[in-house]
Amino acid sequence: MKGLFNKIIEVNLNDRSHQVINIADEVYENYLGGRGLGVKLFTDRVPPTVDPFSPENILVFTIGPVTGTSVSTSGRMSLVTKSPLTGTIFYSNTGGIFGFSMKRCGIDGIIIEGKSEKPCYIVIDGNKGLEIKDADELWGLDTEATYDKLKELEGEKVRTLEIGPAGENQVRLASIMNDASRAFGRGGVGAIMGSKNLKAIAVINGKQKTEVDNPELLKNYAKSALDKIKALPVTRSALPLFGTAGVLHVTNSLGMLPIRNFKYGQHEKAPLIGGEAIRKEILVKTEACYGCTIRCGRLTEAGSMKGKGPEYETVWSLGANCEIFNLIKITQANYHCNKLGLDTISMGVTISCAMELQDKGLFPYKEVKFGNEDVLSELVIKTAKKEGIGAELAEGSKRLAEKYGDAETAIHVKGLELPAYDPRGAMGHALGYATSNRGGCHLTGYMAAMEIFNAPKKIPRFTIGGKPDLLVLKQNQSAIEDSLVNCKFSGYALGFDYQARFVSAITGLDFNVTRLLEIGERIYNLERIFNIGAGFSNADDKLPERFENEPFKEGLSKDRVVPIKEMLSDYYRVRGWDENGVPKKEKLQELGLK
Amino acid sequence: MKIDKETFNSFDLVGKDLSNRGYNSSHAGNLSMKSGGKIIITRRSAMLGWLQPEDLVVIDLEEEDAHSGLIASTESNVHRNIYKHTDAMAIVHAHAPATTALSMIEDEITCIDGEGMFLYKKIPVVECDIPVGSYEVAEKVAPALQNYPAIVVRAHGVFAKGVTLEDALGVLTGVEQAADIIYRVKLLGQPLKRDYSKEKGFTNW
Repeated sequence: MKGLFNKIIEVNLNDRSHQVINIADEVYENYLGGRGLGVKLFTDRVPPTVDPFSPENILVFTIGPVTGTSVSTSGRMSLVTKSPLTGTIFYSNTGGIFGFSMKRCGIDGIIIEGKSEKPCYIVIDGNKGLEIKDADELWGLDTEATYDKLKELEGEKVRTLEIGPAGENQVRLASIMNDASRAFGRGGVGAIMGSKNLKAIAVINGKQKTEVDNPELLKNYAKSALDKIKALPVTRSALPLFGTAGVLHVTNSLGMLPIRNFKYGQHEKAPLIGGEAIRKEILVKTEACYGCTIRCGRLTEAGSMKGKGPEYETVWSLGANCEIFNLIKITQANYHCNKLGLDTISMGVTISCAMELQDKGLFPYKEVKFGNEDVLSELVIKTAKKEGIGAELAEGSKRLAEKYGDAETAIHVKGLELPAYDPRGAMGHALGYATSNRGGCHLTGYMAAMEIFNAPKKIPRFTIGGKPDLLVLKQNQSAIEDSLVNCKFSGYALGFDYQARFVSAITGLDFNVTRLLEIGERIYNLERIFNIGAGFSNADDKLPERFENEPFKEGLSKDRVVPIKEMLSDYYRVRGWDENGVPKKEKLQELGLK
Repeated sequence: MKIDKETFNSFDLVGKDLSNRGYNSSHAGNLSMKSGGKIIITRRSAMLGWLQPEDLVVIDLEEEDAHSGLIASTESNVHRNIYKHTDAMAIVHAHAPATTALSMIEDEITCIDGEGMFLYKKIPVVECDIPVGSYEVAEKVAPALQNYPAIVVRAHGVFAKGVTLEDALGVLTGVEQAADIIYRVKLLGQPLKRDYSKEKGFTNW
């Protein structure tokens, strides 16, 4: 299919062999690329019951037909594996430049299976092909040092995916960093690389160009999309000026910024750590992924440290949700997460879980209490090293709360810690958390875009009627954005028809909106089938009890709880699943799935 | 299936707005939304400006049922087909006068004002032998709406889709506004000083 190369490299770390495999056009036409292709390749190779840390679990890194084209926000790529944190299939997504650089090497992805006897890293060189090298010099280094060392070893223009000590130590919250800057953040995917003794993947010297069926038409569509991105205030000015942390000012004002482990919905000190404060106090410059005009990335300086971020999710998870409002301390903890290779959301929410346990008298570490900003960085470092209390935090909030006998203290779905939109403030978004195939994720359906930011359309945030139907649409659309691969932020400005136009101009095939939605549905159902095989059921499509029983007493989201069971039955019906949340036979046949 | 108060209020608000704008005669036009895997649609000949709770009917999304044949809007088959073949979550249909008038002399309506160009670019015109309620309308409108937010059936009226009824209303009124500007410019009888639509490559849209 045009826009891709129909080639994937399959690496077996057991014997350090590799082979190029050709992918049939039919697979691309049914799954596109990115997440869809990754899910297809993953589920074809891995049984649902696989132990995430076993050599049989695989990592599938893929790009898509839109990756690295003239479409703004297309500098992204995808990863699919089985998560050690959730036990579900796990799709993740990163920006930066790596995806574009890998595409320039003439491949659509890389599958990694097995386990290397010794620490190693993979180099994909556009001139020399693929090589697996010993990583003795890299093992133990943080992500920034790893990136620097790889530049020294492979060349200044190298682009990298790397893990830090957290990944090496198989911490369930470990991320995979991208040029020590962006991240495959969630689900403990870095721990899978660590379990395989794989420290990094590097790409360099790619020179291949992707064939586009109708470059003029694509240019026309890309220009129109750019006009919209430049016109919408969210993408034109809010994200460039304030980064993602600008969101905090909105969620706080709407009473749905989780505070104190999701006990309250707003705080008078919250603006101290928002995007405006970041811009005023610590911003050095803004940064962008490949070809992106939005420039939501931040290079910042906090005290004696310098680094990337923090994002909205981070100032919240390591800040507001722990009742900490010291921007410098939060940013420094964020730097440590990036360097050590840790997901800031899960790290922060696991800390806030520990703080609530301590508040209830269930947790022995007295210093871990709400508002204690001095423990933040120390807890992050200990978690990456699995040292002392860190060994407990390294397991994530679900396992931590269960260990201390109060499972409801962990704010998660399917083991994945919830992000920074309190479900009581947006009903469609809440249902999205409960039904996401990777657990408590805000991006799988991302209803908040419409419920909170009115982008690209406005929908009322508290209504229930029609929300399951709309969520199914958004989840299917999202699976497509992840498969093309295009950034979710473009969706603020663009209607979904733009995605259809992009991929049709690139491939020369008629991918209209309906066809794309069917592909999205196929991907979503294939993920669901895998999860059912892994032991998940409708009993796991739920939210922590406080969201059903404990309304906020103040603010613009007060007196609201989430009628999750009411919405869930409609959701299953809309999906074509039975009352237990299992896809019906006829639905699977319709989608060409077994 | 129970229709909640908030849902009824949306229908009521959108119906009143259309009525106030004079886009339909008193008993014409129709509205629908997807909900719980079904379609909620206005009753045949419902007065959109004076909707009552019993004017909303729940019909099957996949195939014709008793309600859709007996009491639902004449164009329930068009709505169903749009839901089955596009990303529509809500549909508003009205006989918006400027757009309908232009559909009689144009094969597609190309926006020339800033707002129209930014939001819609082009509005496809669909021609049918029986332009109201027929299976032909259902079969032709749905594919035309796949990549566009609204289309106009020649000599009949506009079908606009959205994520909510209010959103679809916004599309329909926006399309009518764009058409009205074209209509007025045509009345002026003067060439455009600058035709942005030609610069933006809308012919390829």
